[in-house]
Amino acid sequence: MIALPAWLTDERLSAEIEPLLRQTDAESLERLAAEAQAVTLRRFGRIISLYAPLYLSNFCSSGCVYCGFASDRKSPRRKLDASEIEKELLAMKALGIGDVLLLTGERTAAVGFDYLRRAVEIAARHMPRVVVEAFPMSVAEYRGLAECGCTGMTIYQETYDPANYRELHRWGPKQDFLERLETPERAITGGIRSVGIGALLGLSEPVGEALALLRHAKYLCKTYWKAGISVSFPRIRPQEGGFQPNFTVSDRFLARMIFAFRVGMPDVDLVLSTRESSAFRDGMAGLGITRMSIASRTTVGGYVESDAASASQFEVCDDRSAEAFCAALRAKNLDPVFKNWDAAYNNPLASEELA
Amino acid sequence: MNALRLGSYTFSSRLILGTGKFSSTSAMIEAVRASGTQLVTVALRRFNREQAEDDLFGPLSEIEGLTLMPNTSGAATAKEAVKAAHISRELSGSPFIKVEIHPNPHHLMPDPIETYEACKILAAEGFIVMPYIPADPVLAKRLEEVGCSSVMPLGSAIGSGQGLSTAEMVKIIIRESSIPVIVDAGLRSPSEACAAMEMGCEAVLVNSAVAVARNPAAMASAFAKAVEAGFEARNAGLMPRSGAAVATSPLTSFLGAAS
Amino acid sequence: MSTIAIILNGESKEIPAGTTVAGLLVIADALGQPVAVVVNENIVRPDQRDSCILHNEDQVEILVFAGGG
Repeated sequence: MIALPAWLTDERLSAEIEPLLRQTDAESLERLAAEAQAVTLRRFGRIISLYAPLYLSNFCSSGCVYCGFASDRKSPRRKLDASEIEKELLAMKALGIGDVLLLTGERTAAVGFDYLRRAVEIAARHMPRVVVEAFPMSVAEYRGLAECGCTGMTIYQETYDPANYRELHRWGPKQDFLERLETPERAITGGIRSVGIGALLGLSEPVGEALALLRHAKYLCKTYWKAGISVSFPRIRPQEGGFQPNFTVSDRFLARMIFAFRVGMPDVDLVLSTRESSAFRDGMAGLGITRMSIASRTTVGGYVESDAASASQFEVCDDRSAEAFCAALRAKNLDPVFKNWDAAYNNPLASEELA
Repeated sequence: MNALRLGSYTFSSRLILGTGKFSSTSAMIEAVRASGTQLVTVALRRFNREQAEDDLFGPLSEIEGLTLMPNTSGAATAKEAVKAAHISRELSGSPFIKVEIHPNPHHLMPDPIETYEACKILAAEGFIVMPYIPADPVLAKRLEEVGCSSVMPLGSAIGSGQGLSTAEMVKIIIRESSIPVIVDAGLRSPSEACAAMEMGCEAVLVNSAVAVARNPAAMASAFAKAVEAGFEARNAGLMPRSGAAVATSPLTSFLGAAS
Repeated sequence: MSTIAIILNGESKEIPAGTTVAGLLVIADALGQPVAVVVNENIVRPDQRDSCILHNEDQVEILVFAGGG
């Protein structure tokens, strides 16, 4: 029915890690952890790069069954105006944050491309790294964002299983599986220097998802060899509306998946957010995970104290302050880093350089 | 079928042989036959009536299933390499060309810039372009972009027998490449060829290690077996490395009891 | 009989005026194996050699395959 791209089912791309994912014993897990740690140390040293999310709005046009922002949820909707965005960014800067992830729901009249571009412009004045996690855009729109200082884009396919995808996305533009799948490529073509991908673990059979996700990452690395690729591992958390995921993804499986990804792709950033508990994050830091969110608020805004409460997309599990989290990382002999490259290097990828 | 694909050709043997440095043409032919190779590389030289008996084109043409891959060694610029490629295609009828441009006669290291320029031209002209290059991951991707059918990073300097000194770089090239990666130059022993295949190379090219062995035909046969073994091992899925030393407290204890 | 001077494989050589490439191959004793012929940077294919007449100061290369890595 849909013409799926060849890489999605190319077993050769994921052949190396498939047996690692299918092992279930504790001994192999420990060995894999040791190898992931050794690879991480060689390639990333002891660095954990830190970023924080800023939800710009919770307006949404889509009907995703698993999300607290789905358009049929009753909770109050808000969007930040320009001065509110500025205040939130200043509050985040005061915490030391230098890498912001700007989030919105799927495209709506209230929150569309122009709103997002304006937000990127504001953020680029304060933050050396500005990443967006919003709605799929066109090449021209991504170019517009890149020219305003957007340095990265994150988009989760949610699930790589087209049949399940159809059922989970009840209405709205997000129903288009292929359009979403091709989004990272449009972003890079538009000049965005790095893209992040992921699957929302628990929606579909986890080993299959892991293999598809790895193939996606490898395909992007081989084809867009000048772009930065990162992989996130969001696992379904409780949210308003009480969606029950079809599959349980245990801590051990998630750990195994992350170790396998680190071993199979030594060079890409692997990202863990505050969806996960303090204990899990502390344990995984340095064993493959190289990038984490910090001091997260998943309500709209939230960094400025006086914000009115609104619905959150998901419950944050690790709610430690930036200071506390950094202390925990240092105690593990890791080096939390808030800034990577200076903003002077943030020019869009030139179009003649692209694959 | 586990065939090596280069351009529109498929090969069951993943050992490619060079034909230089043998004590005689007959020794070279014997080694080629013993190796089971289906692709050999040859160079151009000026005709010399005194050396007419050393003709190897005739004897090579008699080996069934053998394809010639002329190389451009002797060329120091892209222009010379392109000219050599045209002459070679004229003479052999083969679309294969190993682009080999080494201006420095001491270390024979390939010139990346002239190589890139030559490959761009030759790929557009429809050659099956096989560039001999330093083990540079970015150069490898750029050559892939202009239409090369493979990249051939060196293991170590031609004839040096220093083995896979570029292993870490070759691993990166393999990780990033969508075209076959073939280690060429500097391999000394069959175990090194086996290691290159286990690493993910699609083939290896060997010359000196066979030609200068005490018994070239036997060495050629050994290399053939090693290349096959390495390829099979890779496909069979090597066990994960056991990694760093065992930690005194397990890294995964934070995950709690098995669930 | 008048002669012309050409450069063959880097060395000066006198040949009869009007010699064709095919004729040169006979003179050079190069009929035993397949050769490539280049005259002043132009490849002369086998089907052209009977009609390609050489001139004074032509640079000619007769090339064969040899062993190489």
